Amino acid sequence: MTVLAPQRFRFPPVLLLFVLVPLLVEGFWVFWPAIQGLYLSFTKWDGITAPQNVGFGNYRAMVGDPVFRKALLDTAIWLVLFGGLSAIGGLGIAVLLQKERRGVGIYRSALFLPVVFSLVATSLIWQAMYQPDGLINKVLGAIGLSGWEHSWLADANTALYAVIVPALWREIGYVMVLYLAGLKAIDPALYEAATVDGASRWQRFTRITLPQLRGVNAVVLSVIVIDSLRSFDVAWALTRGGPYHSSELLSTYMYSTAFQSVQLGYASALAVVIFVLAFGVIVTYLVRAFREAE
Amino acid sequence: MNTPGLTRRNFLAGLGMAGAAAALGGCATSVSGNSGQSGGAVTVESNLSSPQAKSAMQALIADYDKRGSTQASLNTVASETFRVQLPTYLTSANPPDVYTWYAGSVARSYADKGLLLDLSDVWHTMDDYSPALRSLSTDASGKQIFVPTDYYWWGMFYRKSNFARWGVRPATTWDEFITLCQTLKSHGVAPIGMGAGGSTAWVASAWFDYLDIRINGAQYHRDLLAGKHSFTDPQVRTVFARWKQVLPYFDPQSTAVQFQDATTSLLQNRTGMMLIGTFFADAAPKDALADIDFFQFPIIDPSVPVVEEGPTDGFFASRRSGHAAGTKDFLTYMATAAAQELYVKSSSGTVIPANPKARDAGTPLVAKGKAMLAKAADLTQFFNRDSSDALQPTADAALTQFFDKPDQLDSILSTWQAAATKVWSA
Repeated sequence: MTVLAPQRFRFPPVLLLFVLVPLLVEGFWVFWPAIQGLYLSFTKWDGITAPQNVGFGNYRAMVGDPVFRKALLDTAIWLVLFGGLSAIGGLGIAVLLQKERRGVGIYRSALFLPVVFSLVATSLIWQAMYQPDGLINKVLGAIGLSGWEHSWLADANTALYAVIVPALWREIGYVMVLYLAGLKAIDPALYEAATVDGASRWQRFTRITLPQLRGVNAVVLSVIVIDSLRSFDVAWALTRGGPYHSSELLSTYMYSTAFQSVQLGYASALAVVIFVLAFGVIVTYLVRAFREAE
Repeated sequence: MNTPGLTRRNFLAGLGMAGAAAALGGCATSVSGNSGQSGGAVTVESNLSSPQAKSAMQALIADYDKRGSTQASLNTVASETFRVQLPTYLTSANPPDVYTWYAGSVARSYADKGLLLDLSDVWHTMDDYSPALRSLSTDASGKQIFVPTDYYWWGMFYRKSNFARWGVRPATTWDEFITLCQTLKSHGVAPIGMGAGGSTAWVASAWFDYLDIRINGAQYHRDLLAGKHSFTDPQVRTVFARWKQVLPYFDPQSTAVQFQDATTSLLQNRTGMMLIGTFFADAAPKDALADIDFFQFPIIDPSVPVVEEGPTDGFFASRRSGHAAGTKDFLTYMATAAAQELYVKSSSGTVIPANPKARDAGTPLVAKGKAMLAKAADLTQFFNRDSSDALQPTADAALTQFFDKPDQLDSILSTWQAAATKVWSA
């Protein structure tokens, strides 16, 4: 390899502008608040008087905080159920709706429609359906299952799952679109060759479709992990983490700590934990994916 | 090179501006010193967002503006948003002047941080206000920092026609109350309604407040909320032991529906009675109100002085207000009998004006509520008003859990105490 001649690269000023302006905007609106958040996580702050430095006190407090442990557990359940089901459901539906048939567009649009709606507006409708006199209990009563009738959102045993359902209802459509795009990118010749070789449908799915979707999987995983950890609107609108923290997620706990109890230092520490978790999961996956690719 | 734009000077200027903006961002965590705006109208930040209350406020502002000297402009914010934003409003460099809020510890906590305007001048025009309201509006250093405009009461509300039909009468003692519950249950209704579901979990605190002031007295209650006692005290256990006696008589949907829906249940005869503040009337049809009556929360220990919850609403102002004179003029107007009568007339009319010369709505219901509060040995405000808004969610979690799992009282109370300690030390 020859050493490149030291070339005086003249940077076009417009290009410089295109790089610097977004960097400054990003720096001011994203990085600076993030750094402030990190700083606040080491303080005790009520939003009014000057913050007091407490070192790692907030992080130590988390270890002994039963609500934090509950929120962490719920977030893990959420990640597994919401993430797992939306990935499996999204992939399944994408495979089903992959072939261009008459009317398939209607199904695809119907499934994608929830993504377009505001999740808070959606939540209000689900809230009405979950009410003690709501649609779900009425239907259960009508088909003779009145024993199953429930105050879905007010019962500590069902609240978390009742919140996951509307979130899933939305996320599956989104993941479906991602997988549909991935499926379209697979070369049909691969399937033809496999069919000629006598591969079964299942073999074609596991040997061709899944490996070919690896790139999309990385995207889907990132989307799911980020969406799980930042899931807030639906939980806050439906239960506010209640009853008594039974559907508390890290995000709702962070919000109520910051704005209801006005412990901004502790809330910032929670935000840092959420960030580290999301970043950790995604980076681990990406590193592994790249290593396999090499 | 003829591209206009990036010269070194422009670039440096841009960098400087970004730096300045970043430095301003730094102010988010610092407390900046001096005052902001001056001139223009007095800005009134209001959380009275329900339609009737909002139009009543608009009527008041219009009436004030007609008087000339100073102008006021109203900004109504949804009450949940308002509460969250209040610390931000008060600490901003350019704050609104006047705020609707609550009297008591909750206002004092802002005064202690030096955020509220000294309103002693306004109080010079309010000599006929009761000493109780004056002390409620006074901060730790003896200054008045709050102007009360109205107050209301809590009671066990029921439908007169239903009680007549079931042949029952209001209870005055705890034993009578339990008998009443049993009778109502035998008539096939849920005796006690409550709407502590959804976003109104706080109404359950009324039960805690009332049981505590009936059993342990007002002083213990206030000290408890101030962190001088523990929620794991035997006194608090007694409160829950009493509560447990009547737990079977609560509507099973008590923690599943909001208080507005619980009001509907009461009016539609699905529940017998409900401990609630008069604001519930906003959710009731006007014609139903004629059939509504209430009785005082039953007496449990006759040796404990009878105290009632009488939450007081009103205004305070920012110390950094740019026009303190105009602000005080506006609040002086709000303290007059004429202004408070106008508010009562324009709103649902279930509140009692704070000015002793102002006439209330004059209905028998209001007269009865007013008499009950006048006879009380002392008034408490409400859980969050006697402590802070930050403590309220800890009570919501504890009380809802008690409803669901009364047998886990030990762990509920220790969790509550741990959560409250964090709030007190925040």
